[in-house]
Amino acid sequence: MIDEQMAVFVGSGLRLAVPIIFAATGEMLSERAGVLNLSLDGMMLMSAFTAALASWATGSPLIGVAAGVLVATAVAAVQAVLSVTLRANQLVVGIGFNILALGSTTFLYREIFGPLSRDPIPGFAQLNLPWLAGIPVIGPALANQTGLAYVSILMVVVTWLILKYTSFGLAVRAVGEDPRAADKAGISVAKTRYLGVLYAGILAGLGGAFMSVADSNTFTENMTKGAGYLAITAVIFGGWNPWYTLAACLLFGFATALQFLVPALQLDVPVALLLLLPYLLALVAIAGLVGKSRQPSALTIPFERGG
Amino acid sequence: MVMKNPKLARVAQGARLELVPLQVVVPVVSTIIALGIGLLIIAATGASVVEAIEAFWDGMAGSDFNIGASINRAISLALVGLGFIFASRANLTNVGGEGQIAMGGMFATAAALHGAGGLPLGLAFIVPLAVGTLAGALWGGLAGVLKAARGTNEVISTLLLSFIALPLVYWSVESFHLLRKPISDVSSLPESAEIPDSTKLPLLFPDNGSPLHIGLLIAAIAVVVVWLVLRHSSLGLRLRAVGLNAMASRRAGMRTSFYVILAMTVSGGLGGLGGAIMILGQQFYLTSDFSSGYGFDGLVVGLLSRGSAVGVVIGALLFGFLRSGSINMEISAHVPSAVVLICQGLIVIVIAGSAILTNRKVTR
Repeated sequence: MIDEQMAVFVGSGLRLAVPIIFAATGEMLSERAGVLNLSLDGMMLMSAFTAALASWATGSPLIGVAAGVLVATAVAAVQAVLSVTLRANQLVVGIGFNILALGSTTFLYREIFGPLSRDPIPGFAQLNLPWLAGIPVIGPALANQTGLAYVSILMVVVTWLILKYTSFGLAVRAVGEDPRAADKAGISVAKTRYLGVLYAGILAGLGGAFMSVADSNTFTENMTKGAGYLAITAVIFGGWNPWYTLAACLLFGFATALQFLVPALQLDVPVALLLLLPYLLALVAIAGLVGKSRQPSALTIPFERGG
Repeated sequence: MVMKNPKLARVAQGARLELVPLQVVVPVVSTIIALGIGLLIIAATGASVVEAIEAFWDGMAGSDFNIGASINRAISLALVGLGFIFASRANLTNVGGEGQIAMGGMFATAAALHGAGGLPLGLAFIVPLAVGTLAGALWGGLAGVLKAARGTNEVISTLLLSFIALPLVYWSVESFHLLRKPISDVSSLPESAEIPDSTKLPLLFPDNGSPLHIGLLIAAIAVVVVWLVLRHSSLGLRLRAVGLNAMASRRAGMRTSFYVILAMTVSGGLGGLGGAIMILGQQFYLTSDFSSGYGFDGLVVGLLSRGSAVGVVIGALLFGFLRSGSINMEISAHVPSAVVLICQGLIVIVIAGSAILTNRKVTR
């Protein structure tokens, strides 16, 4: 009984962590280049909606994911123009995009899906990997995930490799730490930052699409419920390191999953308090740890040549 | 503020001057563009634009009651907006208005239901207002303390504090031992009991049916005080100095931590007051989502104002009326009120994007 519930808990914790892992991993790279995308939540929400819409219209969840990623990347492109070229306040722009995303997805959802909202949309089937299922307790939870969930871990590895072993990764780090020196060394600050923001957009798109076409097979208004903010916090908590960021995302996923486990175990803890737990954890995390790890020196500071 | 023609001509020539006109032009133009896009979206849905506008106008200002309700909304938005510009004077971005409203409203309800009702001389509503303000001040001040002590980015912390405050309100109206109304009649919705009549804010025009209450006077006083402090006091100057260059201010002997905490506390307190006024002036009982959207509206008002208390008043009235109109538009003309959210998002993005026109300096 307890074992069964633990397996459900691990499974839902992982599923809840996946969108945050995607978004946080992309955001980490963008922040290493010096651009903070507070619009992450909006990118995810727009992608979740677009993916649901495209999957419903074409019957193919894969096309849904592609459409979601495309829209999130388009948002990222506009964010990049504003943050990099127009040197706008990155935080304010991000909040604007989040309001816009909430408004436009809510509006379109009611206009398009309004009467049909009960129907599930085509989603991905769960893979069942026998070699993983054999692991005790967590095995079934690890094995019964959609393919997209495994892609999130793959993207952590890819991002780590990019940052550590490619010249682009070197440029990203240089631009985030000392854009003036990077500029003098012939690295294009603007181009590197654009690519960083677009990378964050692609991954946030994957994360948002996961929510609608892989996890719940439906779209609900404001379905990200602040997952993008949790992702940004995970980056800070993870000290701008891919593996620690991954660990932070898993922690937030499991903290969110507690709201299903605790009532199932018939513990008398108010659900409302479980709802705020991930955010409380996030607050404690950034308040307690940000002193120890150092953020990229040029984070949120626009670069102007010769200024 | 009046533009003179020679000045305009020099702006056109690209001369460097204080650029006051652009700071007014940009928000006005972006608001007009955003509202135009909103109308296009309404037209695209196939709804009758005329009908939508009529419903919108009716909801905003169709009757004494609607005008009063719109201004009541504007009061809370103005307080949140004032809080935003107060913090931004010290270069702090308080985006946690929603949480500060929520805490203010929750604690004001608690004070009104438990004890304040029997107090004489208007204290019955003054005490809950003060309690709500204090709750918001603590919630905002917490972000200030984290910033001063740990260097925690206040944008992230105020956002997270909002995500923490909203479930707390939900918890308080879900739990019978907290604020949930006891099951006595048929309904047992998760909401608080209605606050006693003595704790409700007195109406300004009780005879003509307008719900406009004395919150208007409170907000007017707050506008004047914030304007005086920010523009004409040494405190305003110090906040500005800390915001512009914390290290230099510290070397000049200022306790920068103190000013950071103070700015966030006052900012949060104004939000808390706004939340308390929402409950005591208009809603009269606490529900889990009573603050929904007001925090972001207040934030947008603060942004639009570009740091001016007068700008906050204009923005708050604009959004107070917009919100009333959009609610009626959804009810009567079946146009989703999310259209107004789209407009607000566009306004914020355009204004932030055009900062390069209005600010010569690179801002953080």
